[in-house]
Amino acid sequence: MADKRSTLISAVVYRDPRAALAWLEKAFGFETVMLIEDPSGEIAHSEMRFGDTLIMVGQEWDENHKSPSSLGGKNTQSLHIHIDTDIGAHFEQAKAAGAEVIAAPETQFYGDRTYRCRDPEGHIWTVGQTVKVVTREEAEVASGLKITGWV
Amino acid sequence: MSSRVLVALRVRASPERAFAAFTGEIGAWWRPSPMFAFTPRDPGVLSFEPGEGGRLIQTLRSGKVFEIGRISCWEPPRRLVFGWRQATFAPDQATEVEVSFEPVGAETRVTVEHRGWDSVPASHVARHGFPDGVFLRRHGEWWQALLEGLNAFMASDAGKDQTW
Repeated sequence: MADKRSTLISAVVYRDPRAALAWLEKAFGFETVMLIEDPSGEIAHSEMRFGDTLIMVGQEWDENHKSPSSLGGKNTQSLHIHIDTDIGAHFEQAKAAGAEVIAAPETQFYGDRTYRCRDPEGHIWTVGQTVKVVTREEAEVASGLKITGWV
Repeated sequence: MSSRVLVALRVRASPERAFAAFTGEIGAWWRPSPMFAFTPRDPGVLSFEPGEGGRLIQTLRSGKVFEIGRISCWEPPRRLVFGWRQATFAPDQATEVEVSFEPVGAETRVTVEHRGWDSVPASHVARHGFPDGVFLRRHGEWWQALLEGLNAFMASDAGKDQTW
């Protein structure tokens, strides 16, 4: 496999994966790097790349594998994108593509500026950019949390 | 022709350079796959006869030429479409490859769409007994490796020596 895959890949479920491929490109800047369609034109497999990471975008498999839009908007996981360029511009692009804003960009105690939104099928995405170097001690003071594993 | 596989890779080159390397230097960057061989003989050397109506051919060591397909669209530096047949394909079995070159900043997104595999039945020797999805994925992974090879070739001394 020449195209290196990371060890952990999220496979994100959509009722309409074709629309999701287009939306994720427009809103977040993901790029489709592999798409396989069966003879009836259904998406059998797809992969999108963002930076050095891949996600897979696929359809619902069965009753136990559903998009949030089939589950009243409920999520059991959320996705995080970490970028190293203009988070404000990323936010505006997502908003313009129709992302439902949950939280506008705000700088967090740990030094990242983040925003959170829902895509058209209700998946929750958090996008962050490190804007400030914060030490563990500073973060503990700012948050009141005990922090281990801070690197 | 609806059964298809699409792969894309960003390469560090302009569309002009990528198109010229893809077509003009295919003999240098192409890596044959024993699983997806065009003919049962030696893998030969691939080359394009440029322009619409031209061909993608494989020249064997013996000098024999196998026509992989005709070029139906030649629009440098943005788009290229050509036929793709293996020697074992029956007359009504044919696939088609469309390659597009889209500038993204200083890079180029090269997209390969290989379609028409539904004309080749599941029992055909070219499919090696794989279920459709698995076959297309294996084939797509080979295309990904080929595009990585194209990218590496353009970055290599041999690729850099070319005038574009």
